[in-house]
Amino acid sequence: MKLIAGVDIGNSTTEVCIAQMDSEGRMRFLSSSSRATTGTKGTIANTAGIINGLEVAMERIGKNVKELSLICINEAAPVIGDTAMETITETIITESSMIGHNPSTPAGAGQATGTILYMQHLEDGKTGIPYIVVASSKYSYESIAETINSYAKKLSIVGMILQADEAVLVENRLEQKIPIVDEVKYVEKIPEGIQAAIEVALVGQSIRMLSNPYGIATLLKLDANETKKVTPIAKSLIGKQSAVVIKTPFEHVKENKLPAGEIYFLGDSKTSVNVDAGADKIMEVLSQTGKINDISGQSGTNVGNMLRNIKKGMGELTKEEASEIKITDILAVDTLAPVQIFGALAGETCMEKAVGVAAMVKTKQLPMEKIAEELKKRLHIYVKVAGVEAVMASLGALTTPGTKLPLAILDLGGGSTDAAIINENGSVVTTHKAGAGELVSMLIQTELSLSTRHIAEEIKKYPLAKVESLYHMRLENGAIHFFEEPIEPKYFGNVVLLHPDKMIILEDDIPMEKIVAVRREVKKKVFVRNAMRALIEVAPEHNLRNIENVVLVGGSAQDFEVPEMLMEEFANYKIVCGRGNIRAIEGPRNAVATGLVMSYIGERHD
Amino acid sequence: MIRNKPSIHLYHNAGDDKLIKEICAGMEEEGVPFEISAYTDSNVDSLCYEASKTSVLGVGIGIIDYLVAIQMSPLPKGKNLFQVNHPTSIQARLLGMNAARAVKRMPFKPI
Repeated sequence: MKLIAGVDIGNSTTEVCIAQMDSEGRMRFLSSSSRATTGTKGTIANTAGIINGLEVAMERIGKNVKELSLICINEAAPVIGDTAMETITETIITESSMIGHNPSTPAGAGQATGTILYMQHLEDGKTGIPYIVVASSKYSYESIAETINSYAKKLSIVGMILQADEAVLVENRLEQKIPIVDEVKYVEKIPEGIQAAIEVALVGQSIRMLSNPYGIATLLKLDANETKKVTPIAKSLIGKQSAVVIKTPFEHVKENKLPAGEIYFLGDSKTSVNVDAGADKIMEVLSQTGKINDISGQSGTNVGNMLRNIKKGMGELTKEEASEIKITDILAVDTLAPVQIFGALAGETCMEKAVGVAAMVKTKQLPMEKIAEELKKRLHIYVKVAGVEAVMASLGALTTPGTKLPLAILDLGGGSTDAAIINENGSVVTTHKAGAGELVSMLIQTELSLSTRHIAEEIKKYPLAKVESLYHMRLENGAIHFFEEPIEPKYFGNVVLLHPDKMIILEDDIPMEKIVAVRREVKKKVFVRNAMRALIEVAPEHNLRNIENVVLVGGSAQDFEVPEMLMEEFANYKIVCGRGNIRAIEGPRNAVATGLVMSYIGERHD
Repeated sequence: MIRNKPSIHLYHNAGDDKLIKEICAGMEEEGVPFEISAYTDSNVDSLCYEASKTSVLGVGIGIIDYLVAIQMSPLPKGKNLFQVNHPTSIQARLLGMNAARAVKRMPFKPI
C-alpha cells in the first residue's frame, strides 16, 4: 500500500490531497487540506505552505508526512495577473472651497448667501451686510443662541456653520429661524470675510441649489465661465443633506486637464482604441485584433501610465526587465472612482468615470523543478512535477457526479479566469483570461469608496444584513432573522456582513441596498464577461452551443452568488453549468490536486 | 392614561441637574421628545426598566444621583443597554443621543 499526495500551488491557496493505492492499483482518496500560498506562486518560498498543507492533511488520517511515498506537484500555468484603475474622463480640478456632508441632524431649511464672520468678531459686523456666522465648539449652544439673538436686531444673520453637533439645540433657541450646518470639523479653515452660500435640505430631501451649477451661480453671482468651473463642486454635492460653498477669487481657480489616451494592441494586426470609448468598445477592438502579443498605452496619458505601471510591477515580481514583459490580455471594465476635490474642507470627493483593468502577463516557465528539489531535500520523499494545470483541473473536475466527456471547465481564480475543454479522446484545449476575483475586490473598493481592500474582499464574500432591533435583523433578500438573546448594542442599527463565525460591522455609512447593487453588478461585469470570452475561445468552432457541460472550479466558484449568475447566463445556450463537487465531497476546490494523483495512477496502468 | 404622548421617559431619584440637562440636550439634538419625572426608587435597574415599560417609544432612562442607565424594551430587567456612573458632560450628551438613536433605529455613538 502506498500513500500519494497531489499538490496544487495557486495564486492565493495551496491545495493538497492524499490518496492510497493498494497492490492491485486501486486508489482511494483519504484526506485533503487547503492552506494560504506562502510567497509568490512558483517560487521556493512556496515550500513552507506545501509542507504545512501536507502535515495538516496527513494529521487528519493520523499519519506522519514521512509515510508518503510520492508527492506530485503541478506544472503551473506561466501567467500572472495584476489590476489597476485610472480615471479616464478629462478631470478638471478647481481650487475652490466647499463643505458638503450629511450630518445626521442639521437644522432649519433653505439656503442663504452671506459673508463669513466668526462668532468672536460679531461686534465688528456692519449693518446691511448679510452674514453667515461660524462658531467653534468652544461655545455652548446656549451662549451661541443667546449671542445670535442679541445681535439679530443689529445685524443681518442669515445662516450658521457650527463645529459641534448642536444645530437643532441652537435652532430651537433662536428667535429667527435660519439654516444651520453642523459637525463641520475644521471650521477654522473657513476663510473669514468672503462670500459663501449655505444650504440645508428639507426633511426627506437632499439639497437642490448647491448641487446644481446654476444654483451656485445664482447664489454666488457667478458668470458663465466661473459657473463651468464650479461644476465638479456641484456634482460632488449631489445627494447631500447640507452644504456650504465658499467663493474663492477667480484667479485662484486652477484648472488641470488630464487626457484620456489610446490603448494600442499589437497582435496579428495593429489596432488602437481611445479609452473614452468605454470598456465595451475596448473589449470589442481587443477581440477583433486576434492573438495578442503585447498591449501598451499612449505615453503621457492616464492609460499609458497605468499599463506601464503594471509592466513595471510585474517585472519586479518576475525579476525581468519591464521592457521584456508582454501583456497578452486585458479585461477593461467601466466603473466610477472617487476623485479628491482640491480645496474641500472635509475631504469630499466626487465620482469620476474610470476604467478598471486586469492585465495578464506571460512569464517564463515557472521554476517548479526548483520547488520539487527543495521539497525533496527537506522531506526526503520523491517529488514529481507532472501535468499541465488545466488538464489536471479537467481530470479532477470529472470526479464531480453527473459529468461526462466532453467536458468544459471554468477555473474562476483570483488573478485569472481559465477555461479548458477535454474531449472523449483526451485532447485538451485551454485558455487564460485576465480578470477574476482580485479585479472584483478592486472595483468594489473604488465604487463604494472603501478605506481598505480587506473590507472590499469581505463584502465580496459574505451576504449583508441590517440589524433593525436588538432582537432581529433584515437580511439582504428581505427575510427576517431573529436572535434568541438580545444582540450587543454595538451592532444596533448597523449594516453587517454575515461571516459564518461572527458579524462584521461596516463602518462606512453606505445603505445596504447600494452595497448589494454594486457587489452584484461588479461580479457580473467581471465573471460573466470573462466566462463568455474564455468559453467562446475554447469551444469547438468558437460556438458556445457546441458545449454541453460546464463545471465551475477554483476559489471564486465558492462565491455565494457567482455560480448562480453564470448558470442563468448559460441557460440561454442550453448548457448544463454548475459548481463542481470534486470527488463528491470537496466542492469546487481541490480539482488540480485530485487530477494530479489520478493522472499518476492512471499512467502506471496504461 | 396620562402619559400617552410618544416620548422617552427619564425617571430619576435625586439625579444631578447638570447631568440631566446634558442628557436632555442629547435627546433634543436628535429631535426625540422626552419627559422627566422624579421617583423614590433607589434601584437604577428597576427605575430605567419602569421608564422604558411606560414609554410608548419603549426607551427609558433611569438616573440615581450620578448613575445613569438606559433601557429599551423588550430587554429584560437588569440587562441595561448602557450604564455609566459619573459620566463626563460629553458622555452624558452621548447617552442622551443614544437613547434617541435607539428610538430612531440608528447606530449608537461610542461612549
